[in-house]
Amino acid sequence: MPNTVRTSPTPGTEPSSATVEAQAWVTVGSVSFRYGAAPVVRDLSFTLGKGGFLTLLGPSGCGKTTLLKLMGGYLIPSAGRIGLKGREITRLPPEKRNTGMVFQNYALFPHLSARRNVSFGLEVRGVSRAICQDRADAILERVGIAPAERDRRPAHLSGGQQQRVALARALIIHPDLLLLDEPFANLDRHLREQLRSELRRLQQETGVTTVMVTHDQEEALAVSDWIGVMNNGRLLQFGTPREVYDRPRTAFVARFLGDANLIDGVLFGHPLGSVVMVRPERCVVGLDAALHRRRWSAQVRSRAFLGPDVVVELESPNRPTIRARYRPLAPHDRRPQLDVGIPDDAAWLIPEADAIP
Amino acid sequence: MNRFHPYLLSAPAAALLVGLLLGPLVLLLRVSLYEPASGRGFFTPGTWTLENFATVLDRYGVRLLAFTTAFGIGVAAVSVSVGYPLAMFIRSLSETARRVAVAGVLLPKLASVLVVVFGLQQLLSAAGPVSQFLVVTGVVNEPVTLSRSLFAAVLAEAYLILPYAVLVLLIQLQRIDPTLEAAARGLGASRWAAFRRVTLPMSLPGMILAGQLGLVWGMGAFLGPMFLGGPEQVTLSVEVYRQAFEYNRWPRAAAGAVVLLVAVGGSLGGYSVFTRRVRGAA
Repeated sequence: MPNTVRTSPTPGTEPSSATVEAQAWVTVGSVSFRYGAAPVVRDLSFTLGKGGFLTLLGPSGCGKTTLLKLMGGYLIPSAGRIGLKGREITRLPPEKRNTGMVFQNYALFPHLSARRNVSFGLEVRGVSRAICQDRADAILERVGIAPAERDRRPAHLSGGQQQRVALARALIIHPDLLLLDEPFANLDRHLREQLRSELRRLQQETGVTTVMVTHDQEEALAVSDWIGVMNNGRLLQFGTPREVYDRPRTAFVARFLGDANLIDGVLFGHPLGSVVMVRPERCVVGLDAALHRRRWSAQVRSRAFLGPDVVVELESPNRPTIRARYRPLAPHDRRPQLDVGIPDDAAWLIPEADAIP
Repeated sequence: MNRFHPYLLSAPAAALLVGLLLGPLVLLLRVSLYEPASGRGFFTPGTWTLENFATVLDRYGVRLLAFTTAFGIGVAAVSVSVGYPLAMFIRSLSETARRVAVAGVLLPKLASVLVVVFGLQQLLSAAGPVSQFLVVTGVVNEPVTLSRSLFAAVLAEAYLILPYAVLVLLIQLQRIDPTLEAAARGLGASRWAAFRRVTLPMSLPGMILAGQLGLVWGMGAFLGPMFLGGPEQVTLSVEVYRQAFEYNRWPRAAAGAVVLLVAVGGSLGGYSVFTRRVRGAA
């Protein structure tokens, strides 16, 4: 089954896919990759405009890192073509592509100082030592590595510093495409959030077209212009974060991006076998439920405290079980029974069945 | 027996070391200070002299010493430069193939050293396959003897130490994350530049250790120079053997052995100064 791009149908506030298509800085056309007999990437296509930030999101083993390596030239596709900046690069070796890659383990050269790591890309291009040093210092300054830390070898830097050095090393060559393989996976939560907002700022300042791979949906939603959701080597959906979150094409996409109630469509007047998604935070609980056509009274089966919000699991005979997320008015809400209402615009009919691998 | 003293664990090895190395060494040192035998026996008991060292370190002796050191450097250079590409090749293999290759590298070590040396002698003789091949391909007009030469002697000794050199290099190379080379390529380095700037400097510790093995092995070389070397290829070990078994001058042989020991120690010192400089430059 061909796995074609499903681009944004929403005009208006969000960047329209038509302009992206027109610019087409990065083109991935019907790319497949087999490892031995096993297909890892299957007939996958998309385009990305200049300066865009695309996040490839999917469970481990879905082929997203393989796709990244295909774009970087570390693997060669079994079929299909890859274009960058208007030229075909499908079979070009990595050193001829001008892509900067940040590896998951950073792959910093252990025998070189932070500064020499960063200037490596310039050194191999024959840039003089003095200029190398100046430019490395400038970009290290930008990613927040203090002068005293620049002479240290990677082993003497913290995880966050290593990540910054790896990013600086990839950016110094002014790549046509920046590739990030789970760049924040090895950092603790607090640092991860800080670095990803720094990354986003840096990416917008430099305007570098970026493709990031992650399995963390929150990360994907927070930083990207575009999200590509992958599973089993296929691109299931390609769109803006809001589009993919609010209007998932398949149940898999709905479940993978955050929490989702998947409800029998019949309840909403759709044909038999259809599925409707309602995000837990769109469900209305308590008195306000009376404002909506679809509402019923339910038993609270479980209650989870998440800080500002509470997630309740609501059970009712002859009704689907619903997870609802709401902000309680009273701090100790212990009501055993709650009314739940589903606003009409909160129900999204999933248009496609999940592809069988 | 509440606590095993760690030293106790090293007792068997220590006993071996004292009994089989330190003891004989002291004996060797004492023998080197006797006057030569007059008549029967190996030396004249009860005498003390430095005469043997003076003879060992005469002009001929110093030349021998220089040749021995150069021979050691040669063996080190050949074993590292042959072993490095081989180790690189083995590293690139799949895991199964790598195991087979390592076993293959170690295989010659199962044969007796003498078998290896005599085998090489046959291989390099005028009637041997190498000579025949050169005749058939027209490189030479008539069969040539390749043994009894410096080339053959160095080759034999390098061949004998090669498995160790390859193992040491392979272990070092396998510790290098292949992603580092990928990262270098992605930053614009060609295959060669990635090797020269990343793989090579990172494998330096292994090269240094392999070179050290070759140096020590080559300076102590006996069988290679003895059976495959020409009349010019006399190392200190060969000289010691001759003095002892051909001329029955045991004190002089002992003095030669002591000088060799000191020379190897000195070379190792020089080697470590040299390698520190190389590492500093890298």
